Amino acid sequence: MLRYIAMRGLLALLVAFTVSLATFFLLNVATDPAQAIAGEDAPPEVVESIRARYGLDRPLPVRYADWLGGVVTGDFGESYYWHKPVAALVADRADETITLALSALAVTILIAIPLGALAALNPNSWIDRFALGVAVSAQAVPNFWLGLIVIILFAVTIPIFPVSGDDSWRHYVLPAFVLGASSVPAVMRLTRTGLIEVMGADYIRTARAKGFRGWQLLHRHALRNALLPVISVLAVQLGQKFGGSVITESIFAINGLGRLALESILGADIPTVQMLIFVFAIVFVAMNLLADILNAALDPRIRIG
Amino acid sequence: MQQLRMRDLCAASAIVLAVAIGPAQAGKNDDTLRVAMAEEILNLDYNYTTKREYIILAQLTDATLFNIDPDTAEIEPSVATSYEFIDDTTLDVTLRDDVRFHDGSKLTPEDVAYTYNWINNPQSESNASGVVERWLDHAEVTGPNTVRFHLTSVYPLVLRDMGARIMLRKAGTYDAGGTVDRDAMANRLIGTGPYKVVSFEPGTELVLERFDGYFGEKPAISKIVVRNIPDIGTQQAELMSGGVDWMFKVPLDLAESLGATPMAEHLSGPDLRIGFLVLDAAGYTDKDGPLTNVLVRRAINHALNTPEMAKFLVGGSAEAIHTACHPAQFGCDQSVTAYQYDPEKARALLAEAGYEEGFPLELWAYRDKAAAEAIAADLEAVGIDVDLRYVKLESLNQARAKHEIPAYFGTWGSGGTADTAAIARIHFADTDRNLSGDAELEEMVLAAERTNDPEERKKLYSEALGRIADQAYWAPLFSYSANYLVSPDLNFPLDPDGLPRLQNSSWK
Repeated sequence: MLRYIAMRGLLALLVAFTVSLATFFLLNVATDPAQAIAGEDAPPEVVESIRARYGLDRPLPVRYADWLGGVVTGDFGESYYWHKPVAALVADRADETITLALSALAVTILIAIPLGALAALNPNSWIDRFALGVAVSAQAVPNFWLGLIVIILFAVTIPIFPVSGDDSWRHYVLPAFVLGASSVPAVMRLTRTGLIEVMGADYIRTARAKGFRGWQLLHRHALRNALLPVISVLAVQLGQKFGGSVITESIFAINGLGRLALESILGADIPTVQMLIFVFAIVFVAMNLLADILNAALDPRIRIG
Repeated sequence: MQQLRMRDLCAASAIVLAVAIGPAQAGKNDDTLRVAMAEEILNLDYNYTTKREYIILAQLTDATLFNIDPDTAEIEPSVATSYEFIDDTTLDVTLRDDVRFHDGSKLTPEDVAYTYNWINNPQSESNASGVVERWLDHAEVTGPNTVRFHLTSVYPLVLRDMGARIMLRKAGTYDAGGTVDRDAMANRLIGTGPYKVVSFEPGTELVLERFDGYFGEKPAISKIVVRNIPDIGTQQAELMSGGVDWMFKVPLDLAESLGATPMAEHLSGPDLRIGFLVLDAAGYTDKDGPLTNVLVRRAINHALNTPEMAKFLVGGSAEAIHTACHPAQFGCDQSVTAYQYDPEKARALLAEAGYEEGFPLELWAYRDKAAAEAIAADLEAVGIDVDLRYVKLESLNQARAKHEIPAYFGTWGSGGTADTAAIARIHFADTDRNLSGDAELEEMVLAAERTNDPEERKKLYSEALGRIADQAYWAPLFSYSANYLVSPDLNFPLDPDGLPRLQNSSWK
């Protein structure tokens, strides 16, 4: 298992560096960081002085090699805008994104698993159709639209929650719902399918014959097996929440990594974008790895296989 | 369709209910003006920043040697009480003796001289250095309230630069003890302006409080909170719910629709930014190309329906222009040749130039796609076969630097400076933006920066602008408008230079 984890860790690093290489060159080709920092109307001498100050006048491969050299020693460089080490900047903002991602995952679990279970226990009923309707709607609605709708409904029209910001737990309710809703369809469908399959299994029939019914049957025999694939998906979804919080954080003015990524990309703040891509890639691969380990822990057959 | 109906229903319900609830009173009740800005505020020191948002904040937290009257574009005293040119390159400035920094210490001539000399020092790497290096040799203290500025050459905009660009700092701010700290004022600003910084969370929130020790007229509102809210829809929702009282850079349609409700007031004021079409008259892309023919360039000017572009595409207070500058700028002579919208005349001029069948034209643009498409459509209508290349600003800049652009739709905001110099030199002198290839014009523009005599400058700009119009080097298009949404409780005066001055706001 340790060898497996080490291999996956190495793979994560490889993915992160490949993505960073592509990002670095694409960002530099698509935009001029000096111009982006200086602003639209900056006179040429200001743009040139910024170019010289940040060493943007050096060839791209040299600059990338410089960055890579820094990363090896744990130095991710300094943000063009914030004038502080990127690592400290990312660390400062991580709290908000972790809070949001975990809250969103909780929302997903609280909606998707009960809904999927209800649908599986009542196949082809109105409950099943309602659950599928929720899944289809959640999949069809883009985050930014859902965000604005919940703001209008629950922050403006019925002012229960704040419109934006990240000062208290109340500020996270709407964004967590919006971010969490996007994962509901996948988790709900998987729960439903898994449970329907499990409920038809021989051991469930045996359990029924022994007198188990309802919640007892579900809890003690069906859910544990049905949720195995769901756990994998949840871990991957958590990874996606980190990278996918860009829109949600922007709409709700949450000062997390997603918003930092958006601002950095728009402003061509290359050192910050580079580190964020690195972090997102690592988190994503780590979450996949976690899913595999959890599956192995829960299902001995996987360990043996 | 079902989803669309649901969305309409939600939006309609929201508006009806919000109207029923009525406008929020948050700002007026606690005498706090809450401002939304999409751009992240990361650094409070305007000596080390450039963007528009930072100019607005610098007006609140800093004072400069001079002020520029937004109505008349005249220079007014501020920290300086008076000035005197000893000769063309020596300027004496007398200072007030009651100016205090936000930490309570008194501003001295040493502080002023230090600030200017520091920004002029290459080690400072200040964003204002490019401006100051043009004219400053060094500054020296000459008395208890006087500073002498030694200029490298005649430079008529020296007082404007002092009024707009250089924020005063205490001596030693950036290099105390020999250690350079360019971010010394980035988070903990000590300025001399009407508001002082109470708290600052970069990228999130800035809290300002009226500074009792301010030497000038005290602002009416005691507290200003600037919140970074990147999404314009969220800003709108905050305004509707009373979370903010002021937002700017509002798209016209949104400003008009929300401004029509009791929840917000739509204000539209002028903006110094103008839009224009630059033509490669010099023939950099094709030395015998159609754009080198003045008749073709005049035809292009006649072909563009600029009044309708201003009215329907920009809206608000935008207007068609016919000069290569903003009408509110000093020296922007409006008596130059104006080309009325006349497609027939445009066709006739093209025929006279030998292009009765038109010609292919690669037109570049980087912003305001609708306006760029309108320009292309108007040119197509008179027979010019336009290939519109809509790119990022950086791509356009790179291609222009290589002289690969025959025509482009550009805009320029003059950095908020109401002087023709702020637009003329960069577009008609020694930069790659100058596609006129007219050395005589370049000389006129540069000559206007070699005299301190305002009348002489006006005369030179009149000549230059007249030549630009006669030769149709540009097709001037329209001025932009600045759209704001504000709380119905707020008095927010608009100035002709388009710079928002929150310090002049008050409650109704």
